[in-house]
Amino acid sequence: MSLTDDQASKRQAYRAAKEANRKELKHVKIDDALPNKSSELDLPKKKFYRQRAHSNPFSDHQLEYPLSPAEMDWSKLYPHYYDAATNTMTKKVTVADIGCGYGGLMVELSRELPENLILGMEIRVQVTNYVEDRIIALRTNHAAQKEYQNINVLRGNAMKFLPNFFEKSQLEKMFFCFPDPHFKQRKHKARIITNTLLSEYAYVLKEGGVIYTITDVLDLHNWMVEHLNMHPLFDRLGDEWLDQDPCVRIMRHATEEGKKVARKQGDKFVACFRRLPNPELV
Amino acid sequence: MIHPIQFTLTNHDGTLLFCVIKNTIFAYKTNGEDGHLDLAGEWVDDYDSAELIKAKVEKEQQRRLAENAAKKLKTNEGEAIERPGNQRRVPLPGKDPKVPVPGPGAPPVYQYIRCLQLSHDEKMLVACTDSDKAAVFFRIELHKDNCLTLFKRQPFPKRPNAVTFADDDAKLLLADKFGDVYAVDSVGEPEKKDPEPILGHVSMLTDIALVTDTKKSYVITADRDEHIKISHYPQSFVIDKWLFGHKEFVSSLCVPEWQSSMLFSAGGDSFIATWDWQKGLLMSSFDYSTIVEPHLTDAHLPPARFLANDGSDRREASISKLLTFKDLPYLVAVPEMTKIVLLLQWDATSGELILSQTLALPLNVVSATVTSANHKLILSLDNREQPGKNFVKIFTLENGKFEEEQAASSSVDEAIVRNLSERPEVQTTVDDIYPLYHVSQLRKRGEHYS
Repeated sequence: MSLTDDQASKRQAYRAAKEANRKELKHVKIDDALPNKSSELDLPKKKFYRQRAHSNPFSDHQLEYPLSPAEMDWSKLYPHYYDAATNTMTKKVTVADIGCGYGGLMVELSRELPENLILGMEIRVQVTNYVEDRIIALRTNHAAQKEYQNINVLRGNAMKFLPNFFEKSQLEKMFFCFPDPHFKQRKHKARIITNTLLSEYAYVLKEGGVIYTITDVLDLHNWMVEHLNMHPLFDRLGDEWLDQDPCVRIMRHATEEGKKVARKQGDKFVACFRRLPNPELV
Repeated sequence: MIHPIQFTLTNHDGTLLFCVIKNTIFAYKTNGEDGHLDLAGEWVDDYDSAELIKAKVEKEQQRRLAENAAKKLKTNEGEAIERPGNQRRVPLPGKDPKVPVPGPGAPPVYQYIRCLQLSHDEKMLVACTDSDKAAVFFRIELHKDNCLTLFKRQPFPKRPNAVTFADDDAKLLLADKFGDVYAVDSVGEPEKKDPEPILGHVSMLTDIALVTDTKKSYVITADRDEHIKISHYPQSFVIDKWLFGHKEFVSSLCVPEWQSSMLFSAGGDSFIATWDWQKGLLMSSFDYSTIVEPHLTDAHLPPARFLANDGSDRREASISKLLTFKDLPYLVAVPEMTKIVLLLQWDATSGELILSQTLALPLNVVSATVTSANHKLILSLDNREQPGKNFVKIFTLENGKFEEEQAASSSVDEAIVRNLSERPEVQTTVDDIYPLYHVSQLRKRGEHYS
């Protein structure tokens, strides 16, 4: 009894300290004129961010989202790319990691795609906090090199509110890594790849943009491939393309789920699809 | 007492009036000039959903048995082993599946007829039923004794909430409570297996409209999450745009015939939005909160579990229906569970809606419909406190004001009392009235934190 109480209070204290830290550091643009005095931050520990693994995407969560893409304030997420003189962002988000989990993919992509702003979306609160703390720590520890300024995370429900964040044709890449398989047939609408949601992804993706999917569940892989194949706005990319694409390599090895599957020597199924131009509209 | 009318619909010149009372649709026909009404047809939804539930339970049982039979046997160490004799277990027929029955204290199940819609040529009527989640198609044949001839009943996986016909009446577009939109043929045999959605939201759909600009057609859908989405039709996989501006649920969409590039929308917000849907612009918004405020009651407070009880609780108004006429630049807005209807005039020079009249009624308005050609507004009222009268009120728009047509109103009341007083299936007691107001409960309250 006392042990569990002790653990709970330790976790609470940890979370409170990190929350204060987030409030202080989240939106700070580190001034390069100042010598970097702040001591190194420890990377957050996952054990303090445990939460049950599933969140119902249909239920009525307390979420924050902008009224429209125009009203979204990106400067707080990517202060390095904010131009105070003109009050505009110098870059737009072009890569989205839907259901980014613990953020392993984004951290790797940050270096691979230094010219792109990358946004992770995650529906679980504690997991989002973990990723935020991880990014804060990485940014602070790499302040001299100005690294990790191009990644950040949002708590949100991408199935409902993706168009509130992104304009038409804004994105170049969308990642769906190890999504919730929702095995039960009656839960299939809760899957992140469905006919109807693909039309929304096609809206935010620009022509030639790519959807990346990876899963260790063969049934889900077949489902995603079937639905993407069926959708008139997507075309599957072949193995040669997959072999040469650096993001596919990272996706296979960098995500937390990917590492877990590798430890257990499970299979990983990858499928990527290109956004086709709209057909002639009647 | 006769149950209040839950839903009304009329045709373009007001010669037909459809009324939904409990699980029955009654069709009334006006008889020439004297305004006398005759019962021209009726249809009762007596579908027994027990069979449907039983079939579903059976299907699920079969699926599970098949799934279990297909599973591999495993040892305690987790290694797969072959079944003895390499035989797959054949699913046993099993016991008769147990059909769930509502226990004591379960909420009553109503056989709702949720909405009615006429085809453009007014030769077809479609109704959405809750009992089997179906769209029910009728041919309207006035020469017959019963003018409603059922010719198709198409069930859907989830409850339909709004329907509209395609321009040529060949297809029906149907939006359901799960967020999916289906397009089904108006004629022909019902489809056996579940149809595939043509587009969808991850939110309950509340209204649907089909519009055309100079060349192309679009389908506009509104949902509980503030979203209004415009997709191409029939290429519904290409989304044209979203209209952003609502902060609460959207309950009603209305594209006026007199200016089809415009769209009115309203719901849980304190305003009615006017859009140029072709450009994707919010042209103006009309705030109705101060007009409606004095007419709100404690029934407009949030549900008890969301009340702070410290004086900060506010009564919440919502618009349940928007209607327009064919050629007059007016908009009718019905605030739910109130004794008023708003008549707003569209001022093209300022690009704004202007209040023209606050129409006061003796009772709460339940449902509203307009005759687009001759500017009549037909309201059904919640007459539980005045049984036997005030079922319907009819108004005509003249010089920017609604004037009651008392003779017409009372002839409808008379016809209903005359035809239905002796009919047990439409009788009710005050405690057994179907829920008449379902719009305000769409308001989201962010119940889930993690």
